[in-house]
Amino acid sequence: MAAKRNITQHTESEVIALSKKDQSYFGALYNKYFDQIFRFVFKRLGGDEDLAGDITQQTFIKAMANIEKYEDRGLPFSSWLYRIAQNEVSMHFRKLKKNFAVPIDENRVIEVAVEASLSTEYMTSDQQEQLVEMLNNLEGDHLDLIELRFFQEMSFKQIAEIYKISEANAKMRTYRILERINKMWKNDK
Amino acid sequence: MRKFTLNKDKKDLNPSEAQIKRQKDFSRLHHDYEKLTKRGKKPLFRDPKMFLFLLVIAIILLLVFLGEI
Repeated sequence: MAAKRNITQHTESEVIALSKKDQSYFGALYNKYFDQIFRFVFKRLGGDEDLAGDITQQTFIKAMANIEKYEDRGLPFSSWLYRIAQNEVSMHFRKLKKNFAVPIDENRVIEVAVEASLSTEYMTSDQQEQLVEMLNNLEGDHLDLIELRFFQEMSFKQIAEIYKISEANAKMRTYRILERINKMWKNDK
Repeated sequence: MRKFTLNKDKKDLNPSEAQIKRQKDFSRLHHDYEKLTKRGKKPLFRDPKMFLFLLVIAIILLLVFLGEI
């Protein structure tokens, strides 16, 4: 009990090690990471609070059940949680029989356009719609990458940690997809 | 399947602190986890339905066995 009371004095790796032996210690990890994982899921679901709450809970249940398998390989613990959350959201989308509309802000779409060298100036709403439609036609894993980078505003380092790849690789994959979008855009004209 | 659409209604895509607070509940998580992992581990003597079901099967088997003698 004394150790539980002094949980804040432990380092994160110690809390993880303690959680492997006694799951009640997992609460400290839950309290630390809930907000950021919930924000991530909420945004991915376009602002559906209850669904985001359920999927975030599911993410933490999975993390709690698999904490014994977690190995510290120098990556932040949060990247492991993001990976589980990413899978949970993707699984939810796969299970759905009808389309699930995820709203994205205009400035995020423009940012994709600028990075893909489609536009450096003003984009009409028709052009924005056209680009969104193009994004919707990308393969799932390509769209995930675009989503993490531009809609979730993650750094290449964070993306690399989620996918367990190097930062350079995350950057290269993203720019290849942007090049593809550029080609598709030009072919469409 | 997810389908992106332009946020024309200007819906806030970031949760508020109140929404986060509403959803953050470790006791619910712990309860759900226990329910998920500990189900089916109830001892037989504490599950009267299962106990009766197995007792009835045992009696039927005994009667069948006795009937064959």
